[in-house]
Amino acid sequence: MTYEIVVLTNMAIAVLFALSLNVITGFCGQVSLGHAAFLGIGAYTSAMLSKAGVPIVITFIPAMGMAALIGLIVGVASLRVRHDFLAITTMGVVFLFTGIVRKQELLGGEIGIAGIPAPDFGRIGLLMTSLLCVLAYLLFTIWIRRSWTGFAFDSISEDEDTATLLGINVPKFKLFAFIVGTAGAGLAGALYAHQVRFIGPDSFGFVESISVLAMVIVGGIGSIWGVILSAAFLSALPQFFQVIDDYKLLVYGLLLFGAMRFAPDGIDGLLRKVSRWRAVK
Amino acid sequence: MTTKRLQIKNVSVKFGGLSALQDVSFEIDDNQLLGFIGPNGAGKTTLMRVIMGMITPLSGSVFLDGKNITGLKSVQRIHAGVALGQQIVKPLRQMSLLDNVALASGGAKLLSPLRALMVRERSEEREVAQELLIQVGLGDHAQKLPNELPLGFLKRLEVARALALNPLLLLLDEPLAGLSKPEAEQMADLIASLPRKGLSVIMIEHNLPQVQRVCPTLYVQSNGRALAFGATNKVIAEPEVRRAYLGVDA
Amino acid sequence: MLFVDLCIQGVIQGAIYALIALGLTLVYGLLRILHVAHAALFTLGGYVGVLVTNGSGSFLLALMTAMLVVGVVGMSSYTIIYKPLLNRTPLIALIASIGIFIASEELFRIFFGAYGLSYVSPPLQVQIEILPGISLSQARILVVILAVGLLSGVGWLAINTRMGIAARATVVDPQIAASSGVNVEIIRYGSFFIGSAFAGAAGVMVSLLNNLVEPTMGAVPSYKALAIIVLGGLGSVRGALIASLALGIIESFGTIYVGHLLDRDSIAFAFLIMVLMVRPQGLLVRG
Repeated sequence: MTYEIVVLTNMAIAVLFALSLNVITGFCGQVSLGHAAFLGIGAYTSAMLSKAGVPIVITFIPAMGMAALIGLIVGVASLRVRHDFLAITTMGVVFLFTGIVRKQELLGGEIGIAGIPAPDFGRIGLLMTSLLCVLAYLLFTIWIRRSWTGFAFDSISEDEDTATLLGINVPKFKLFAFIVGTAGAGLAGALYAHQVRFIGPDSFGFVESISVLAMVIVGGIGSIWGVILSAAFLSALPQFFQVIDDYKLLVYGLLLFGAMRFAPDGIDGLLRKVSRWRAVK
Repeated sequence: MTTKRLQIKNVSVKFGGLSALQDVSFEIDDNQLLGFIGPNGAGKTTLMRVIMGMITPLSGSVFLDGKNITGLKSVQRIHAGVALGQQIVKPLRQMSLLDNVALASGGAKLLSPLRALMVRERSEEREVAQELLIQVGLGDHAQKLPNELPLGFLKRLEVARALALNPLLLLLDEPLAGLSKPEAEQMADLIASLPRKGLSVIMIEHNLPQVQRVCPTLYVQSNGRALAFGATNKVIAEPEVRRAYLGVDA
Repeated sequence: MLFVDLCIQGVIQGAIYALIALGLTLVYGLLRILHVAHAALFTLGGYVGVLVTNGSGSFLLALMTAMLVVGVVGMSSYTIIYKPLLNRTPLIALIASIGIFIASEELFRIFFGAYGLSYVSPPLQVQIEILPGISLSQARILVVILAVGLLSGVGWLAINTRMGIAARATVVDPQIAASSGVNVEIIRYGSFFIGSAFAGAAGVMVSLLNNLVEPTMGAVPSYKALAIIVLGGLGSVRGALIASLALGIIESFGTIYVGHLLDRDSIAFAFLIMVLMVRPQGLLVRG
């Protein structure tokens, strides 16, 4: 039973993490190759505070706040660059994050932080908390999507210059996406820290950033339900492959390639194709 | 002195030492349609960008209804009442024509994501959009995606979208370019019908016959300098204009 | 003396970066795609280099073979990965490329083992005194000679041959180039071949300098080279070469002077971000 709970909690955290990137990349069209840095900022903030005796749930707030604050700074810097320049700048952010953490004694350096307190509400409690967080964040992003903010995002993700000519204050909307997205990642990080109870710089690197981007893209950029499905599936994938542990990454890599090569619209596109095909029949 | 809708005062622009605009001035009243012509390289697009706030001039200023807007960013100018219809149509291809126009009529919501977050209702803006689409002759295509329509229709969409911003001054950058002769004629008629109390239109165009037909006043620019400004017939008759623009010796 | 030493280390590292970055910047110029799988070709070069040297005893043969094999594999990467995805958003190709890169690291591990391979008797290890008091191994000197030779060779081709001129025209505007009779496909295959072959050569040289090839040796170049081409202005070959050299030198000084605050990779990216904040289009504009 414990094992299933762990797997489910991991899935919930992955879904939250992917939904948060979906706001930045999916809704607002800003590619980020460094989103794991904000997962890390949330995880470190929450871990340090809860080690200092702050109740776990309370640490979620500064974890989100800290991630959003750095997210805002990165966002302001990102306003200067576009497209592929933006992608590589955000990639730089994740290397800077891990690079700085590695050299900071205070943050446990290379070794990381161990002995993060277990949640006093138990494993099932943590799963429930994670699910609640996912639900709350999900409802919030659905709200965004359907509001005028989402409407404006649609135009920004397609063509920033045209969006400006329609009277949209593009920088403000982008920063909003960065704040909401990085705060979500910070929350996911806080949950993650208390799920694994040991964190180090390697948990929040470039590979993790790519994995979460893959979840968003495989899910179909911008599609909330597709992203949830793909995040749940891709995060549980390594568990399915326990049997062929040796080839886990090989399968993962080929799967990413295959998904892009043969279903580039992602799960969302596949679902639409299937429903259209049914409609034709 | 009455306030002018738009006043350009002594605007100069340089690109890397090369002078693109030299001491350009002109003005336009309310409820006017001004034709803005000049040969290639005359600096028409540059001046348009100065008006839109995409380029900061080296010197000189831009006034809208007597208010100095030289220091404002594009998005602020748009909300102050300047709108642009682009030469190369840029519809948002993921949304219907109706939503393309409705988004533009979102007003102050578009300035703040937090304010926009509070509003989900779009019906009012869609009604406005539907009317504008009817006005430009696209009433029957409101639900279609831009990719389903030919260029002539998308040029009209560009106009409807700019009108949705509820501008005091509408700039149209080569609205007739790429259109067939009958299409261009219809478009010119549409543009001629736009000016009213509270809206002036500047039409930057190469299609001289149509400009002559619908624009009562003309502004001519050549090599970054103002060449002539005034009633269309007079301006066209000026020897300088004929030499510079039409390549005809007077 | 330390100053000169750090400069030399920087130049050698910069030469390696330049060999890798050339292919990446060519691919970006032609296809607007960030070709992460390029780093797998670099690793492949290392493996071919070690295997052929150990098998035949000739390092020269190994270097030539590596360049040829990697060049051909690089061309096939265009056919397999990118060609079918050209009309999609570049993000799709990027993720596909990352997928291939991850899978290839695993393939190297499965075929050649997790601990990597070494040269049985590493060639070119004689130390030569190049300046009073400073000597370098032949291998290190060869890195610089190879980079200068290969890159200026390509520069000569680009300026003096029909194909080179056509390639540059294609980078500037593919449609106009195609309509004036340039066979864009041949240009693409040619660029993939040359760029990959150079990455292969870099792989051989790095494997020789470290006397080791391992499955993960492409990880650092995979992102570092992306940083370099962005720094250089994305698609600008000259910019990428300048950025390679600059980054090599900055890293070599940085690890000494700010190494206690940031590791090597973050120094590179801190530099990248600083440059982009001042010049959002990179050091040089494409062309």
